[in-house]
Amino acid sequence: MPKREVVALGIAAIVVAVVLPLCNLLPAGSPLAISNFTLNLFGKFLTYAILALGLDLLWGYAGVLSLGHGVFFGLGAYAMGMHLMLEIGSKSVYQSSLPDFMVWNQVKSLPLFWWPFHSAAFTLLAIVLVPALFGFAFGYLAFRSRIRGVYFSIITQALALSAWLVFNRNEMNLGGTNGLADFKTIFGFPLSQPATQRGLYVVTALVLIAGYVLCRWITATRAGKVLVAIRDSETRVLFSGYSPAAYKLFVFVVSAVLAGVAGALYAPQVGIITPAKIGVLPSIEMVVWVAAGGRGTLYGAVLGAFGVNWIQSWLTTSYPDLWLLFLGGLFMGAVLFFPDGVVGALGRLGARARRIVSRRADPAAATPSVSLGRPTS
Amino acid sequence: MTPTPSSEPPTRAASIIYMEDVTVNYDGFKALSRLNFFMDRRELRVVIGPNGAGKTTLLDVVSGRVKPESGRVIFGHSTDLLPLRENQIAQLGIGRKFQTPSVFVNLTVWDNVELSLRRASKGVFAALRQRDAAEERDRIAHTLDSVKLAAKADGMAGALSHGEKQWLEIGMVIAQDPELLLVDEPVAGMTDEETERTGELLESIAADRSVLVIEHDMEFVRQIARTVTVLHQGAVLCEGPVEQVQSDPRVLEVYLGRKREGADAVH
Repeated sequence: MPKREVVALGIAAIVVAVVLPLCNLLPAGSPLAISNFTLNLFGKFLTYAILALGLDLLWGYAGVLSLGHGVFFGLGAYAMGMHLMLEIGSKSVYQSSLPDFMVWNQVKSLPLFWWPFHSAAFTLLAIVLVPALFGFAFGYLAFRSRIRGVYFSIITQALALSAWLVFNRNEMNLGGTNGLADFKTIFGFPLSQPATQRGLYVVTALVLIAGYVLCRWITATRAGKVLVAIRDSETRVLFSGYSPAAYKLFVFVVSAVLAGVAGALYAPQVGIITPAKIGVLPSIEMVVWVAAGGRGTLYGAVLGAFGVNWIQSWLTTSYPDLWLLFLGGLFMGAVLFFPDGVVGALGRLGARARRIVSRRADPAAATPSVSLGRPTS
Repeated sequence: MTPTPSSEPPTRAASIIYMEDVTVNYDGFKALSRLNFFMDRRELRVVIGPNGAGKTTLLDVVSGRVKPESGRVIFGHSTDLLPLRENQIAQLGIGRKFQTPSVFVNLTVWDNVELSLRRASKGVFAALRQRDAAEERDRIAHTLDSVKLAAKADGMAGALSHGEKQWLEIGMVIAQDPELLLVDEPVAGMTDEETERTGELLESIAADRSVLVIEHDMEFVRQIARTVTVLHQGAVLCEGPVEQVQSDPRVLEVYLGRKREGADAVH
């Protein structure tokens, strides 16, 4: 990692993981105070940023566009949600040991696949392993058959649609359209307590930092260069002795795990997970975050996830009609006017400013420089 | 396995590549039709032929891109190439240079060669762990020297000129340290000077490797070729020294009968 990035990452990490939660501890009247609501909102954005990291690794580096990452997000969120449902126990509305929706659906006993989720350890393992195994199986079949480009994107979209349909069915015993909700505690800590939510926020921030370091490490190794090479010329990679399928499968699984972990952190902070969160539309929104922030940089994806969702939460409360127009406009704008996202646009602006300054300072030394697109990191 | 003297008829043991009765069928069109082809070790062979003669398909079969309908393809002493995938064949020691330059434009020239370098494993986990030692860096620097791109090592490959990209790709294939190089029309779109330098480069490579070149440019063929194979309708029409092939009536007929500019190229 270049020194500048280490410093920037350190500062960002301290602000996000330390300063913001401390501001939340200040009394409400203080000018620097951050409300519980805002911190919780930021916590949600951070889970999105974790997912966006993996998506950027997959799309921005290896050039594989997945329009189905909502599925992996959902797998993690539902795994966590199932544990939280079981933690409610008989404190639920119907005071049954079964989750409320099962009582409502006249399910008499807990379905077998719910049982292991009583265990917190199993749940934590499932949050990582279920998206990983599912991502592996799906990726293996797709990449081994050399499905790529737009065809791959289309089948991931089909995956999102079918997952949405499956999770919507009451027969799946996953809460149907209403999903899983009304969580009371997480590993014994009451979710209604600000301290618990603050703790979840800090954990999310730390996971994001760890995820960033992991992704940056991958991109800095020779494997990371192979990913960029696959985007440039998959055939050349193949004839250089590498199996592009193996590399794509690897990043696909990494991104699936990051999405699953993000979902697992999302469920307790937002308090509900429904099939609406795992379908086609949310999966495409995830891609928009990365495109708007800037592909192939990692920090662009984080900024995009945070920024787009912040604007969304502002627009949907102040101008609810405008949100979808804005989202569509953002995607078209990103494609047409700033294909390398906000990060890339700012970078080009900065480079131009520097050129103008240096030309003014020393007109003789001003030589035209070649813009090389993706910033090297 | 020792190379037999060239006076003896070529045998399996001496050949680097041995193709027998190879047929490739593209939906009824026979790109290769019971082709028999072999090459000695350390030979520089040029394959010519009119459009559609099956030249590129020949390279596709050897490099694993196309699987023939029938026939045998043996690399070296006894390695059957047919069940192997492209990357496995590349790892065995067969490098391929494509007709249009295919380099990694978003990586530096150095990284392009680094990725191509011959390694025991090119798996994901090896690539995550390994750092290049001084020896690897020397090999990369040496390769860049030999294709005269050392000065541009830190620049992006996308910023290179067409000719430089061609050389970079040749450099990448050399870095793979292959026993056999497959080169598809290396001088297409090059200036005369670049063409001549490319010819010298290929001849120096052929000093200790086998090189199979597909080419249209007859002047270039005369510069580099020792033995020329003429393909026609998916099979070998004739084979021999350039002068002999050029005056062969069958070759003249194939080029004259099919394509005016092809005929010009032969003369």
